[in-house]
Amino acid sequence: MNRALYAAATGMAAQQKNLEIVADNLANSDVAGFKGASETFTDIASRGGTLGTAPAGTHVMFTQGKIERSGGPFDVAIVGPGFFAVADGGGRLAFTRNGEFSRSADGSLRNAQGRRLIGARIPAGAISVNVASGGEVTAQTAAGEKKCGRIRLAEFASPEYLESSGGTLFFETKASGKARFVDPGKRGGPELQFGMLERSNVTIVEAMMQILAAQRAYEANAKGVQAADEMMRIADNLSRD
Amino acid sequence: MDGIAWAASAMSAAQTRLEIAAQNLANGSTDGFRRSIARGWLRARGVSVESVRDGEQGALRRTGRTLDRAIVGDGAFVLRAAGGSTIETRSGAFTRDRFGTLRDDLGRTLVSTRLARGSYVRGGFLESSNVDAAGEMVNVLEAERSFEAAQKVLTAIDQTAQRASSKMSEFK
Repeated sequence: MNRALYAAATGMAAQQKNLEIVADNLANSDVAGFKGASETFTDIASRGGTLGTAPAGTHVMFTQGKIERSGGPFDVAIVGPGFFAVADGGGRLAFTRNGEFSRSADGSLRNAQGRRLIGARIPAGAISVNVASGGEVTAQTAAGEKKCGRIRLAEFASPEYLESSGGTLFFETKASGKARFVDPGKRGGPELQFGMLERSNVTIVEAMMQILAAQRAYEANAKGVQAADEMMRIADNLSRD
Repeated sequence: MDGIAWAASAMSAAQTRLEIAAQNLANGSTDGFRRSIARGWLRARGVSVESVRDGEQGALRRTGRTLDRAIVGDGAFVLRAAGGSTIETRSGAFTRDRFGTLRDDLGRTLVSTRLARGSYVRGGFLESSNVDAAGEMVNVLEAERSFEAAQKVLTAIDQTAQRASSKMSEFK
């Protein structure tokens, strides 16, 4: 009975983990460039353990989000693979698909957390800015058009192994491989769309459905725990009758 | 074989039933998991339960990850663990490491895919667990009730024996 009790308890823990992940997806479904995740589980018994299940790993889904026109003056969306590289205060690079940038006082483009986009600097006195699909950034100034850098995209041998910061930022790891910078706009490669944002790839309806399923599964496992407990009580009564 | 041993075997059979149902319920979200069915047998030494694996195909679920794979039909992914031993699984959630090797979440590498005639692999899909939660809940309740009933029988036999022995002492 303890085996059954333990197995049902691991089932409850698994569904709780499931709920956490789906709730996080749902909470970020409105964040530009957010990538939803899912959890995989493994059967403990097949690995020579006792009964039950255990979380095996979290997978971030790097599928393309919907591209939508936005109102921001410095919004850029990536169509295809790749990441924007931003400076992470500590000298490290961070990678993101969130292209919601704004111009700061020193002319750099920064995201909502104040991290600076690598590759472009807008000169003072710029009237308007444009980003071509190949990443070239140009600014209209009183003196005419001026080139002011190029946005390059980082690609990884295995993006699945990137370390997630929980939000839209990712960091490179040994397993992901080093960032390889590519120019967007090449045939078959990613391209940039200016004035657009990539929405999160989380589907709200699907996430709601997953939450309902996880809740039901949690309850079912809780019933298993109750039954195991009840049977222990019955067994205990044997000696008292 | 006396009644007490019979009732005790029924209790232990009910316990095994609960274990099987709990194991199935726990793995309701384990991809590629195949549920076990409890089969009861009447034997010379009482009731016994053994678990039989149900080979029914689980539902395919689109995941959006290109490295997810599901087998339609009979077959298995053959994985090699770090120690060199190989195991077979139906769970096809793989990641590609920077050397191009496909690995599952426990770090085991994909060696080959064993497919029966007519079976095929679908990319971008995973095979969900074939556990039916409602059915398993019924199994849990059944196991609980049959455990309770066996316990009542055992107690009844025990009380009868007790009464019999006290009557015997009255006749002395």
